[in-house]
Amino acid sequence: MVINQTEQKESMLKRGWWLILLVAGAIIAPHVISDFYLVILIEALIMSLFALSFNLLFGYMGQLSFGQAAFYGLGGYTVAMLITKVNFNFWLSLLAGVGVAGFVGLIVGFFCVRLRGIYFAVLTLAFGQLLFVIIYKWHDFTGGDDGIQGVFPPGILKIPMAYYYFVLLIFIASAFILWRIVNSPFGHTLKAMRENPERTEFLGIHIAKYQLITFVIAAAFAGLAGALWVPFYRSVAPFYLMWIKSGEPVMAAILGGASTFFGPVLGMFIMTFIHAYILGFTHFWPIIMGTIILIIIFALPGGILEFAKVKIKERQERMKSAKGSS
Amino acid sequence: MSFDVLFNQFMSGIARASLLFLVASGLSLTFGVLRVLNFAHGSLYMLGAFITYTIWKGLLIPTFGFYLATFLASLVMGGIGIIIEFFLLRRLYARGWPEQLLATYAIVLIITDLVKFGWGGEFLSIPRPAPFRGAVFLFGFPFPSYNFFIILLGLALVIFLWWLVYRTRIGDIIRAAAHDREMVSALGIPIPWLFTWIFVLGAMIAGLSGGVAGPYGAIALGMDIEIIVECFAVVVIGGMGSLPGTLLGSFIVGQVYAFGIMFKPELALAFIFMVMAAVLIIRPWGFFGRPER
Repeated sequence: MVINQTEQKESMLKRGWWLILLVAGAIIAPHVISDFYLVILIEALIMSLFALSFNLLFGYMGQLSFGQAAFYGLGGYTVAMLITKVNFNFWLSLLAGVGVAGFVGLIVGFFCVRLRGIYFAVLTLAFGQLLFVIIYKWHDFTGGDDGIQGVFPPGILKIPMAYYYFVLLIFIASAFILWRIVNSPFGHTLKAMRENPERTEFLGIHIAKYQLITFVIAAAFAGLAGALWVPFYRSVAPFYLMWIKSGEPVMAAILGGASTFFGPVLGMFIMTFIHAYILGFTHFWPIIMGTIILIIIFALPGGILEFAKVKIKERQERMKSAKGSS
Repeated sequence: MSFDVLFNQFMSGIARASLLFLVASGLSLTFGVLRVLNFAHGSLYMLGAFITYTIWKGLLIPTFGFYLATFLASLVMGGIGIIIEFFLLRRLYARGWPEQLLATYAIVLIITDLVKFGWGGEFLSIPRPAPFRGAVFLFGFPFPSYNFFIILLGLALVIFLWWLVYRTRIGDIIRAAAHDREMVSALGIPIPWLFTWIFVLGAMIAGLSGGVAGPYGAIALGMDIEIIVECFAVVVIGGMGSLPGTLLGSFIVGQVYAFGIMFKPELALAFIFMVMAAVLIIRPWGFFGRPER
């Protein structure tokens, strides 16, 4: 056990240097890339936060939510409505976006955590569509299919570069919090419930309570992502709550690797950049995305990061055995 | 509210329920046997509608062209079903259901673009075919007689599926496979082929329902998502994989929609999901569903 811990610490250190490298790269990036790709980079960061919130449910709790976009959209709508309708403070609007998403997450989650597997996926999808329909049809209150335009961040944040650093900061902080959550005793309990719900329940752990808390945390972070995106994009539309949007973090997680913490981030970056690149010459983006998904499912089961992990482990073991024999 | 208005609303609810049953029965059948929730079922329905339109246009037979076109489109969809099952799904049965779900989701994306590419983005429509062109008056309110055609077709499909599942040897195998596929396989029944044919049957039903949906509404991009989400509500309320459940679910959703529109048109769809949530609180596996093992 002691050896195990030191090993873990060592691997944490090893992990540490490339994280520092990534953060350094992220800080330098906006000075190197063009304005167009700066916008894409901001989108990728925000969507990655969305994907991380989804993967808390999928990768750690073991339940696939197909309605996560509802919370993303709710966060965005809260910010948009508070800023445009009552001229509310930007920072408090962000907080309100997180709060509203978390609160609705509490209500929706209350029903959803009673179900497992495919039933959970369909019920989250139905609740997501319910929220989508309400916002889509409630024209007087939400603007209906017109959405809401003219959502501006305050002062210096109107400059994309400044907004980028703001988003980067929040992303790092959120990722750190989520990382701490999944590696805390709470996170280990979640994983135990995923692996064997019966046995965990026999240990005296109230599964529904744990899952509800997780659901609310995931909803709140999805809301934060939406709340960050809308002031940057200056507008919000009901489409943000739709199940197609909910499919994006699902794809990102499976593409990058749902069993790893950063897999969904990698998947989302790949998707966002391919999307931006492809839209340059064709509107037939879904067919390309669909084909990519099928290729990943068949060629790289477990996702890119998981695949890389397995390969690295294989190599290390080969080197170890080579050392041992010599 | 007078009785005649309510009755008229009830009848249009029945017509909608019938169309929903046409689509959802294929979804439910596939799930019951293959245990794969096919997101792409709505896309097969949409593709069926567009293919029916093209064949109908090409045939130039005024009266019976539509029926022939729908039949042919359903055969084409069967062929597409073979391709999807044989080349994609078959390789994923050993994997987890999230990957199966995502694969069918990928098919949704691909079919959406194929339809956009092949037919453009416009709305297409097929006029109501003879002899269902006019309207019937129910207590003084006009009711499209084509709706009766859909209701009859729905009834025919109920009877056909009931006969197939409960009165034939294939039905015995289907029910046994839904219960315990290893045991059925051990008895020497080729499960992979059963799966292929069930999926093909589901795809053909989807194509058929897409075809008859043409004169009922409009043929347009987005009809796939619209119907599949309602079908999820149907199968979740009724219980996934259950034929009587799908029938009951279609009835409930159709009626809730019809009366919801009368009460508050903007929220008709929202009412469906509310009913669904209510059912799931009382019976998490739907009325006729069985708890997951």
